[in-house]
Amino acid sequence: MREFCVRIVSLVMVVAALIGYNTVLDAREKDEQIEELNAQLAGLQGAETGEIIGGDYKDGTYTGEGDGFGGKISVEIKVEEKKITEINILSAEGEDGAYLSMAKDIIPKIIEAQSTEVDTISGATFSSTGIKEASAEALEKAVE
Amino acid sequence: MDIHNLTAKDKKKLHSWLRAAIQILYFCFIPSAYTAAFAGVKYIFTQIGAGDRIELSSFVAVLIVLCVYTVVFGRFFCGFACAFGSLGDGVHALYVVACKKMKKKPIHLGKTLTDRMSCLKYVVLTVIAVSCFAGVYSKAKGTSPWDVFSMLHAGNFHLGSYIPGTIILALLLVGMCIQERFFCRFLCPMGAIFSILPVFPFFSLRRNRENCIKGCSGCTRKCPSDIELPEDGSMRVPGDCFQCQKCIDTCPKSNIHCGIGRIKGNEFLFTILKALILLGLFLWLGI
Repeated sequence: MREFCVRIVSLVMVVAALIGYNTVLDAREKDEQIEELNAQLAGLQGAETGEIIGGDYKDGTYTGEGDGFGGKISVEIKVEEKKITEINILSAEGEDGAYLSMAKDIIPKIIEAQSTEVDTISGATFSSTGIKEASAEALEKAVE
Repeated sequence: MDIHNLTAKDKKKLHSWLRAAIQILYFCFIPSAYTAAFAGVKYIFTQIGAGDRIELSSFVAVLIVLCVYTVVFGRFFCGFACAFGSLGDGVHALYVVACKKMKKKPIHLGKTLTDRMSCLKYVVLTVIAVSCFAGVYSKAKGTSPWDVFSMLHAGNFHLGSYIPGTIILALLLVGMCIQERFFCRFLCPMGAIFSILPVFPFFSLRRNRENCIKGCSGCTRKCPSDIELPEDGSMRVPGDCFQCQKCIDTCPKSNIHCGIGRIKGNEFLFTILKALILLGLFLWLGI
């Protein structure tokens, strides 16, 4: 009985520590966001600048393929107004569900960087490399 | 067919066929649950080390679900659904058959040695957790035997950069041959986590020691982890019990049963139920 209680208390403490850790990070992030927004506000009041950096891609929809974990991954990339706006996975039959959904985190990274020169997702290296390669192949077709 | 009226021998056969069938199905169709759950552990330590938020990613979800399942049902996942565990059971069975054919006695490791070795898994877990925390784990990419196993399972044979991992996997296979559940009991870092979880005593196995034949230790000798089962009414759950349930059929007095007495005699159905619940959870998680 005593051993069981000790185990339960330890488990609760571990879970509480992890949740506490996340809460602290959330609070910090909020503070940072407020500062950032304040800085932006100050910047806007000063001068109206801001230019959207566009990529050098041709508008259209392109597809490409890459080697994933257990087979080919094929993606579709949409380019609008010379920018990558969307990346969809068309097929990834050889991938495991949990790994693929982890690997999809690379898509917003590629869109943000407007390039496939981004780090792969650790823990889902194969699948995310596959998505990266497939995107690179698709983008080659989009270069003017 | 009424399973209650079978002879002890037929019951034993039925139980081992059921276990083999469940293991083979999980091995073929859901092999990645174990690596996904452990990737969740590595992810948590990596994030903390880097000072980043722990998101509820698919890996973490698998980890949480498996831990909750284990808290309720004990290490049923290890005994029936883990691809690595089933691999070990498979090669061990082959080894035993080969020994029989060649009329050699299988090697048996002594109890003091195995007891000491079962602490190694905590060392493995600590080393991996610390290296994730320090951010150096990703540099040791080619050394993971799990990656090699998953690649082979998926039919991917580009093992060029995985030579250390392949060698480790080969060594593990040798160990799995010699000792049943070698990896699970001695080295598995996920097993280290499972074995320190609090497990509710309702579904774990118990014996009524008063009923035993005097001096009999059949169940302990049959057990891949050499466990001496707790008494009826005890709250203790042996951390290394993988719920292989071999002890139930080996007891000459049918003295071993679940903490809940009503399941007695219906272990067969209860096993199927547990396997289905686990399957449901996995489908829900989308593994």
